[in-house]
Amino acid sequence: MTTLIEPPTSPVEAAPRKRVPAITGAGAQRALLVTARWVGAFAGALALFGILLMIKGANPLDAYAAMFRLAFGQQTSIDEIFIRMAPLVLGALAVAVPARAGLTNVGGEGQIIIGGVAACGATRLLGEDLPGGVLIIGMLLAAVLAGALWAGIAAALRLFAGVNEAISTLLLNFVALNVLLYLIYQSWRESPTGQPATAELVDGAKLPLLTASSRINVGIVIALVLTVLVAVVLTRTRWGFQVSVAGGNAEAARRAGLNVPKLVLSALMIGGALAGVAGMIIFAGTEYKLRDSFGYQIGYTAFLVCWLARQRPFPILLGAFLMATLSVAKDSLQLDSQIPGYAIYVLTALILMAVLGFTTPRKAKV
Amino acid sequence: MSNRKTTALLAGLALIAALSGCASASESGSDVKDDAGKGVTKIGFIMVGPKDDYGYNQAVYEGSQALKADFPDVEILTAENVPEDDTAATTMEQMISKGAKLIFATSYGHLDAAVKVAEKHPDVIVLQQGNTITTDVPPNMGTYFGTVYEPMYLAGIAAGASTKSDKLGYVYAFPIPQTIANINAFERGARSVNPDVETITAATGSWCDPSAQKDKAAALLKAGADVLTQHQDCTATVINTAKEAGAMTVGYHADASALTPDLWLTGAVWNWGPLYKQLVQKVIDGTFVGSEFNANYRVGFKTGTNPFVLAPYGPLVSDDTKAKIEAAKAFLATPDGSPFVGPLKDNKGKEQVAAGVVPTYAENDAMDYFVDGVIGSVK
Repeated sequence: MTTLIEPPTSPVEAAPRKRVPAITGAGAQRALLVTARWVGAFAGALALFGILLMIKGANPLDAYAAMFRLAFGQQTSIDEIFIRMAPLVLGALAVAVPARAGLTNVGGEGQIIIGGVAACGATRLLGEDLPGGVLIIGMLLAAVLAGALWAGIAAALRLFAGVNEAISTLLLNFVALNVLLYLIYQSWRESPTGQPATAELVDGAKLPLLTASSRINVGIVIALVLTVLVAVVLTRTRWGFQVSVAGGNAEAARRAGLNVPKLVLSALMIGGALAGVAGMIIFAGTEYKLRDSFGYQIGYTAFLVCWLARQRPFPILLGAFLMATLSVAKDSLQLDSQIPGYAIYVLTALILMAVLGFTTPRKAKV
Repeated sequence: MSNRKTTALLAGLALIAALSGCASASESGSDVKDDAGKGVTKIGFIMVGPKDDYGYNQAVYEGSQALKADFPDVEILTAENVPEDDTAATTMEQMISKGAKLIFATSYGHLDAAVKVAEKHPDVIVLQQGNTITTDVPPNMGTYFGTVYEPMYLAGIAAGASTKSDKLGYVYAFPIPQTIANINAFERGARSVNPDVETITAATGSWCDPSAQKDKAAALLKAGADVLTQHQDCTATVINTAKEAGAMTVGYHADASALTPDLWLTGAVWNWGPLYKQLVQKVIDGTFVGSEFNANYRVGFKTGTNPFVLAPYGPLVSDDTKAKIEAAKAFLATPDGSPFVGPLKDNKGKEQVAAGVVPTYAENDAMDYFVDGVIGSVK
């Protein structure tokens, strides 16, 4: 931060205070309009998918009602929605923060895996005799560090070799997967004769549940806290403002004296750290083991969540809730309507396209 | 400035509060009734892959549908593409919420989720296909599987009798005990009719990766193999690669003779219907708890209902070979029958089974060496 030119008088420094939006009638009206468009697009996607269901011989209204009942009709399903929502929120924030700096982080998938691997590694390193709380903090720190460093590889490649981070983060996903596979098939494998997986996490180090009667772990609380934190950092801090300036026009930022490489590096690494936490939550909150399917598709789904929310922290909560609900409700298509389970991906794609297409601001307004 | 610090402090405090607000994740140890599952009217099947994969999952699906004829009043719920992780538990929970009192978790990796669901629902019977419960088997659980290497031994006889180059090729995924036993039984079967035959192995590192399958199959053909077989979930690529090179095929999981009608020898394939019927009948009768199925149940030719059977023969298998296979099948069904009767050496020359010893099903389920005549390493 010391590199910034004369902070007190700089317009760069002064600007954030003016940007705080006032809750006015006009603002509320705009928010209402955005929400209305969102709901409209969502309904459109459901209608299109309904036609598909009809072609496959199912009654769309019955199918949707059955999906709704399965997702919200029993406590276990509702719990499951919040359990699955947590890593999606963090994975989407991992896209949103770098996006502020004009970066495309497609590497959530790999950063989540590395976060889980680091969390598992931390418990192996620390030993199972330590108190659970210490292990949890250790896992969290290891996941944050590992996720940040993993994303840092892509940031370094961009800064020093000019490699586009959309490509490098994507390719690093496959490297991360192979690191995971190597560990669960070789040195970390619990039993040479069983399914390739690590030993189960000790009970004390499992993430605590919110209440004794539910299955929801504290992952969702961590996700909510970090969402607020990210929102505050992005909109209320000097760093947040500088990052968005660098993302908006890197050349202008450079001329204003901002250290753009440092901003790029930090934004991507913070993104990686958030994804790392997602990996830790999956490992210590639900899976308790590393398996070959660890974190499968969560990074990519979170990428969609972020785009649904247009890279804004609070709408990400809504998008993640929607995707988590769909993933819990999807079995209803098979169980109630005899539609193949993969059909849910068609619905997901329709929703994404409809929401993006229907809510994109007109060019002239940008 | 102070505002920002306060926010950070509050966030940190909230995080710590969340982490320390501990409610332990302990299960209530409810009792399982002796007649748990009695009169079941809904049965759930979860499968790891698509129900039309011409392989493992299709065999499960066909077995589940075969139940409809025997139990017309029972509703069968199926879910395909259920991953081998905690999300499988949710799918099983949803089936239970729809009234299912019997769940078949049919993939090896579904075991952890199956155990979790069984603990939570003492009134539901959960059966797992292919894996082994290493602790005490809960009263409302069981695992079941066929002895897959027995028909592989028989298929090995067909391969050993048909090869001209005395080299057989085996494409596999990972050196897990089940696969190792398959490869060893195949070579032992081939050796029983052809003392010079070798089985060359190649691992793809995946259950279904067609490009790796093609590479490995081509390498085996180049090494001189003129019969290819495999332990893969999807089987078409290896079979087609063999066919293009004019090599013979021994199939796996499902009858794929339609792909290579002229060069098809035989195969080892699933027929789950009869075993599923036995299992379901036991649960409907309310006699599952404490029965032979309330355990790690393994069925082979000795007990007569191995769900893994030999596929129909192709035109290249002679009547003489068929007679030898029938004789071997009868031998496997005797108490002392096994592909691995000692003396048995591994491919490094070390004796693994002493002369005259018949290893048990359990010992064969833990095999970690290739037998003499197999080219390859388990490491």
